Amino acid sequence: MKYKMEKPKLHLLLADDDIDDCDFFKEATDEISDACNLSIVHNGVELMNFLSSENADLPNLIFLDLNMPRKSGMECLAEIKSSDQLSQIPIIIYSTSLDHTVVSELYQMGALHYIQKPAEFSSIKTVIEKALLLFNANVTPTCSREHFIIQP
Amino acid sequence: MMPFKSIYYSERFLKIIFGFSLFMVLVMGGIAYKHIRQLSRSTADVQHNYEVHLELEKLLSALKDAESGKRGFIISRDSTFLEPLLLSSLELDKNMEHLKFLTKDNPEQQKNIAELKAKIVKSLDIFKKTLDLAATDNLNSPEFIAGFREGRQTMNSVRFKIIEMTTHESDVLGTSKEKSSKNISNTPMLLYYVLILSLLILLLTYLQNSKNLKVLKEKNELLETFKKSTTQSEIISKHGNWIWHIEENTFEYSDNLYRLLGEEPQSFEANLANYMDFVHPDDVDKLTEQVNKMMENEDLPFIHYRIIQKNGSIKHFKAYGKLLIDSDGHKKILGTTADITDEIENYRLIEKRNLELERSNKELSSFNYVASHDLQEPLRKIQTFLSRLEEKEQDHLSNNGKVYIERIKSSSTRMRSLIDDLLQFSRTNRSEEALEDSNINILLETAKHDLVEIISDKRARISSDFIPSMKVIPFQIKQLFLNLMSNSLKYSRELTAPVITITYSQTKASDLPKIKYSKHNLYHTITVKDNGIGFDQDYAEKIFILFNRLHNKNEYSGTGIGLSICKKIVENHNGYITAEGDINNGSIFTIYLPLS
Repeated sequence: MKYKMEKPKLHLLLADDDIDDCDFFKEATDEISDACNLSIVHNGVELMNFLSSENADLPNLIFLDLNMPRKSGMECLAEIKSSDQLSQIPIIIYSTSLDHTVVSELYQMGALHYIQKPAEFSSIKTVIEKALLLFNANVTPTCSREHFIIQP
Repeated sequence: MMPFKSIYYSERFLKIIFGFSLFMVLVMGGIAYKHIRQLSRSTADVQHNYEVHLELEKLLSALKDAESGKRGFIISRDSTFLEPLLLSSLELDKNMEHLKFLTKDNPEQQKNIAELKAKIVKSLDIFKKTLDLAATDNLNSPEFIAGFREGRQTMNSVRFKIIEMTTHESDVLGTSKEKSSKNISNTPMLLYYVLILSLLILLLTYLQNSKNLKVLKEKNELLETFKKSTTQSEIISKHGNWIWHIEENTFEYSDNLYRLLGEEPQSFEANLANYMDFVHPDDVDKLTEQVNKMMENEDLPFIHYRIIQKNGSIKHFKAYGKLLIDSDGHKKILGTTADITDEIENYRLIEKRNLELERSNKELSSFNYVASHDLQEPLRKIQTFLSRLEEKEQDHLSNNGKVYIERIKSSSTRMRSLIDDLLQFSRTNRSEEALEDSNINILLETAKHDLVEIISDKRARISSDFIPSMKVIPFQIKQLFLNLMSNSLKYSRELTAPVITITYSQTKASDLPKIKYSKHNLYHTITVKDNGIGFDQDYAEKIFILFNRLHNKNEYSGTGIGLSICKKIVENHNGYITAEGDINNGSIFTIYLPLS
């Protein structure tokens, strides 16, 4: 993907406790484009602190892992969606598992998309690219249930 | 019931017979009394008649005495001959009075007596006159002769009168005798008939009674048998019976009720207070309340309470009562008390086991989750690192290294699909999802869509009938189609383009193979037929068992879970799945789902 230089850099925030996955994600975003600015937090509490700090640089898009210590992804999602300042930030779930009921619940809670962490590095790149594309295409990010899950 | 009814009727019959017999006896007594009265009256009549006769005879004889005395005096002039005359005049008065008294009921005789008396008085007057004449020796005077003649005439008329009276009296006796003798001659005959009738009635009563007795005996034996079987069933089913006579407020307890309380049969008086002694202190209030209600409403709904036996063991009782009004109108409540301790203990055991099962199910599902989810994560990372290694370090690897990486990759891919399938299997549960009306055709299309790559790779052709909508768990049915079709695609013959035919029909439950009992009458029948490698029919059952595979891993990339998932899904929908295989010709999978 190519982004025009005059466009401000896209601020992505990844919340994932797994160091390896964070590294893969960073490498993938680096390889996709230099137009992204990636911040990483390692658990739910850290995420909420990041978002609620005073002069917070609020992200354009949050990638949220579900299974995290201290505060789970689902709790974070609920908290963000109930906050006036934060509820507009689109959230893409980025998780190892793919449980039908959990996916449905997350959709109801207002997550924008769901990505099951791929095994192939190239697939990681593909899903992130797709997610960014969908995000750019949608000025007001909403999504139907059948396109909720992004496949690599 | 019928013989009892007949007894009931015969009781009425007997009452009627008894009343009739009583009436007959009274009638017989009355008739006998009447006839004896009549007999005694006619005897009295004869007696009376005789007395009247006697009196008349006396009268006549007194007159005769007087007459003959008079004649004697006239002839002999001896005044001693006059004595009977004097006496007889006194006697005559007495006789007359007596006669009058005797015939006071007979007006004709009274009249005769009056006439007779006049005649006697006249005759006595003539006596006196003739005597006076005789005393003055005027025997030859015409007066005396006339007097004497007149005396004779009067005497004759008296005699005649007396004869007339005697005849009259005899006539009266004769008619009454005739009348009574007619009556009396009928009496023995009548009594005899009545006796015969009474005997007949008696015989009839005896026959009826003996018939009733026979029925009663049979019923008694039946009752005895019932009683024994009740006692037996009481012991076996651990229940006791009791009767509460409402009006007398008395109780009857069956032997087994005592045994249920841990006591010897009939070892204490059957009443409420004695029973309450056994009731568990915590349940006394509850039971008392119910019993009071029972006394008010004359009904006892099912109640549950505990008792404590003297040896200290606690038993759970359940009681029920129902009002019965017997044929005499007496009200009683028939109650049954059952010892449900075993039931309760079993229930508790089941409850405990259920809890254990629930716990172990929870453990199992969390184990499943951990096994599939947490194992997935490191595996995924292995794969990601492998892909990084291949991509970035390709040039630094020897040929051997590249081969090893390939092997690691295929192993991890296989492990991945195993874990995915296992996860799928453990997630295929009924409770998780509600059934919803779904368009099965759309679900089938979605499943096809998931397989679009392999379908085009293998140039497969898939045709399907229209399938009506059903109440199903949508994602599971999609998974079912997905698994069956991918199965068909996976086990296709080399160099032959797979053809999958999906057809729909309906089957009656009675035509279903292997199903003996079914709640449903009609089944949706979906068959998935392919032209693949097929299988030996001997394995038709085995292929649905978890991890069962008919082929080597190297030949076909199956995990042995896909068909197990299919079976689980179909069973979640109360359906059945069967498989038919024909080696090198293909296989047919048939799904039966109940048509609600």
